[in-house]
Amino acid sequence: MERLVSENAGILDVLFTTQEQDYCRGKRRVHDHLAGRFAAKEAVLKALGTGIAQRMLWTDVEIVPGSRGRPEVCLHGEVAAWAEKRGLADVDVSLAHSAGMAVAQALAVWDREAEDSRSGRERSVAVSPD
Amino acid sequence: MSQTQTLSAVQEAVVGALGVSEDEASPDATLMDDLGAESIDLLDILFRIERSTGVKIQASDLSEYIQGGISDDEFSDENEIISEKGLDQLKKVMPQIDADEQRGNLHAENVIKLFTVQNLADMVDERAGSAAS
Repeated sequence: MERLVSENAGILDVLFTTQEQDYCRGKRRVHDHLAGRFAAKEAVLKALGTGIAQRMLWTDVEIVPGSRGRPEVCLHGEVAAWAEKRGLADVDVSLAHSAGMAVAQALAVWDREAEDSRSGRERSVAVSPD
Repeated sequence: MSQTQTLSAVQEAVVGALGVSEDEASPDATLMDDLGAESIDLLDILFRIERSTGVKIQASDLSEYIQGGISDDEFSDENEIISEKGLDQLKKVMPQIDADEQRGNLHAENVIKLFTVQNLADMVDERAGSAAS
């Protein structure tokens, strides 16, 4: 992540919302926190059963600090519309970063009427901050 | 920029982003399955291509280019297996795919895994042409 950010001007704005960037800049290990948030975004998109599909933006999945530091997911734009159309009831995420590695796990909960194949879909993603 | 120059620029981006050799980044190598690219690597590749060619491609553009404007419901069936219409589209942008072999077997989420270095170069060429016209 550190190399990616240093070599590609503008990539922070592609990947992270202003709030996410501000949160991570306030931490000592900035790139570890950025990598954790990217892993969380990927985990959420995989749990939803999409990738970064048509017209979706990485900033459509925002990871914000919730109560007692627990990360929470805010969906925006195309991702929010996609999830609403398919009956997403809730999405939960956990993330951790340590020793040069960030990992995240997301769990999507769908309305009973949603497709059975999507029920309780869970995905884990690991991203290196280096 | 000629097609050869575009291919060279894409191969250079792939080598730089993934740390693979120039031989490995051959035109028919698939970015994800053969070269091990993950989504964050694709971003790195796309930014490198933008720097060297001036052609800006976002990660979400890849799936849009592959689907060619066909809706999700038409591109694949209820089990997310690529439809006949979807296969016809894939023949245009990923001509190396054997439609007979993939018919009834190709899951929508696996299509991107078949995307090659040459396919990406073709996309850059197409985008460069669109921007110039």
